[in-house]
Amino acid sequence: MNGLFLATVFHLSVAFFLLGMGWRCLGWLRAPVPLKIPLTPGPKTRVGVAARLAGETIAFRSLFRAAPGLWVVAWLFHLSLVLLLIGHFGGLVAPKFSQRLLGLTAEQFTAQAQLSGGAIGILAAASLLGLLLRRIASKPLRAISTAGDFFLLLLLLLIVATGLAMRFAGQIDLREARAFVSGMRDFKSAVPSPDSVFTTHLLLVCALLVYAPFSKLVHMAGVFFNPALNQTNTPRERRHIGSGLGPARVVFPPAKTP
Amino acid sequence: MKPALPPVPFTPGASAANRAHRAGAKFLAPLGLPVDLPPDWQASALRKLDELCQQNRALPLYLDSCVRCGACADKCQFFLGTGDPKNMPVARAGLLRDVYRRHRTMGGRIVGALGGGEALTEQKLEEWYVYFHQCSECRRCAVFCPQGIDTAEITRAAREIMGSIGVATKYVTEVLKKVHEVGNNMGIPEAAWRDSCEFLEEEMKEETGIDIRIPVNGEGAEVLLVPPSADLFANPDTMIGYAKLFHAAGVSWTTSTYAGEAGNFGLFLNHEQLKLVNRRIVDAARRLGVRRIVMGECGHAWRAAQAFMDTLNGPLDFLDPPRPEHICEFAVRMMEERRIEVDPAANDGRKVTYHDPCNLARAGGLVEEPRQILRAVVRDFREMAADTTRGRTFCCGAGGGMLADELMDVRMKGAKPRMAAFQASGADHVATPCAICKAQFAAAFQYYKIDAQVVGVMDLLGRAIVIRN
Ligand code: SF4
Ligand code: SF4
Repeated sequence: MNGLFLATVFHLSVAFFLLGMGWRCLGWLRAPVPLKIPLTPGPKTRVGVAARLAGETIAFRSLFRAAPGLWVVAWLFHLSLVLLLIGHFGGLVAPKFSQRLLGLTAEQFTAQAQLSGGAIGILAAASLLGLLLRRIASKPLRAISTAGDFFLLLLLLLIVATGLAMRFAGQIDLREARAFVSGMRDFKSAVPSPDSVFTTHLLLVCALLVYAPFSKLVHMAGVFFNPALNQTNTPRERRHIGSGLGPARVVFPPAKTP
Repeated sequence: MKPALPPVPFTPGASAANRAHRAGAKFLAPLGLPVDLPPDWQASALRKLDELCQQNRALPLYLDSCVRCGACADKCQFFLGTGDPKNMPVARAGLLRDVYRRHRTMGGRIVGALGGGEALTEQKLEEWYVYFHQCSECRRCAVFCPQGIDTAEITRAAREIMGSIGVATKYVTEVLKKVHEVGNNMGIPEAAWRDSCEFLEEEMKEETGIDIRIPVNGEGAEVLLVPPSADLFANPDTMIGYAKLFHAAGVSWTTSTYAGEAGNFGLFLNHEQLKLVNRRIVDAARRLGVRRIVMGECGHAWRAAQAFMDTLNGPLDFLDPPRPEHICEFAVRMMEERRIEVDPAANDGRKVTYHDPCNLARAGGLVEEPRQILRAVVRDFREMAADTTRGRTFCCGAGGGMLADELMDVRMKGAKPRMAAFQASGADHVATPCAICKAQFAAAFQYYKIDAQVVGVMDLLGRAIVIRN
């Protein structure tokens, strides 16, 4: 497919994703937090709050206590996503830099990219399948799942599947892919897309990026804004006054004695 | 150890008939709520939802970022007890989320039903009424949710929306009306308040031979004690515990008939009532010229006081320190300063465990103080299983304005996880500093045929405290 077209779609999708997520975050920030509602016992300092949030977002601490089985699958899935993101960036957008960073020869670098990319891709696919099966097999989960939940899982599975197909079925030429991506990066996209699987993979990612701000994917940012987690447990040390980016609204009408 | 109570199967609709009585005009009007469903109730309710989303960040954030992972599902005592899928916190929140997605999100407005939303129909409103009154706002789900989503905030919002169109429970509105008219939840008038204080004074005189006072509306005392009014009639031993504690510590104190209620049912209805009921305590403290406010044994009272009082009705700079204190904190301070002495032998023969009221543990940060007291005044103190105590405590099953008689069925089912943990502990007494928990435990012990007693922390302290003239 036309490289320039793909490059434009991709860049627009990324921009849409960033703006959309920013817009959602601003929407939350515009509303004040009228009351002190941290979960207790909880940290009393900002450092403690940072540690609590780090524990939740890096180790999924609460989930570990709630459902250890789900924790394994969910954590591996998120880990594989992060690793794939890093891998794609390092291997395709900045290959020279990564190669130097790892101190490998070009052949070694490509071999290790193929190996780790394949392994992590399989991990991602397996964990996604696990999440999907869980949603289908468990009665309570079926009851709470929405069409959107299945749509997202399928979209992600398709993305991973096309990625794996390039690695294992078609043996995509990494040099071609890099050339295309660097063309995209520098907006010099006369380079055509290496093949149709690659094109599909890229367009599916674009769909995900555009869908994200409308979906539950906003949870990746939302957790940091949650007053139950990010407030210090200090209602008695400091007076809490409803905060927010917007004007401090009068949430409570003046008292009248009925 | 007796076997744990058997689990309940997953049964759609199992709890749909457990419905609280609706409030009529008599109780809605005094609270400034519409007495009939307004003709444009859907539009009004959606406007209110809009307003709340703009006033409280947590609400849109929680509705947007739930990933429906289900980690919270089996953490709610009402789902565990009833097996009704709509009592899974994620599904309970879903009742509001559906309407929110349809009406407030761009996706919902563009694609309508495809966006996963649902319209606010009469049937939906009925579901709201039933299931948002089968949530005790206990926050247990939030502790286990990877996003920290607190379904209690969603329940509070749903109740506020329903209230704004005249849909509320008789129990909560009736209690609030009594608070505004008489000054306490039980509707005890001043004369009866004084009588029962005198009666308890006589009891203590008989028991100890010493004059221990329970002052009423005394000006210029050091401490204003705000008990739940149930302590005057239902839990007199708790009241006696307070009196002995202040007497032994030599701290002057008083109760107030204007602020004769620690509990704040505004928390179970809307922000306006939360603020108004809360203000009564601040006003009484100012008028009586006290230096400290000490809150009695009531769970949600403590949340309303320690977390919200300063924000809603502060600054509290006329107090020293400028914040309310909990009776358990006060007692611990008195023990640490050696101003009171206790003799645990007085409680021998009792196997005591401690139930964390959810609002103390998860919303009020008070978990160690009651235990410090219990360890000092009881020789056989034992904990229940760790995943049912402190921040992870189970609700007794009747908090959040659910202590109504007609909700007995869901209350008893909701009490199940707590009862199982209690039985496993092998204790024969449960101490808990919350009037609602006390009423609920007494009923649940009977229902589950458990031979045990519920007491206040102050009851046990009152027995163990050494009184000198
Ligand atoms: S645990 Fe949290 S994110 Fe998961 S379903 Fe429950 S409320 Fe939603
Ligand atoms: S706040 Fe408590 S009662 Fe309400 S849904 Fe959560 S766990 Fe259940």
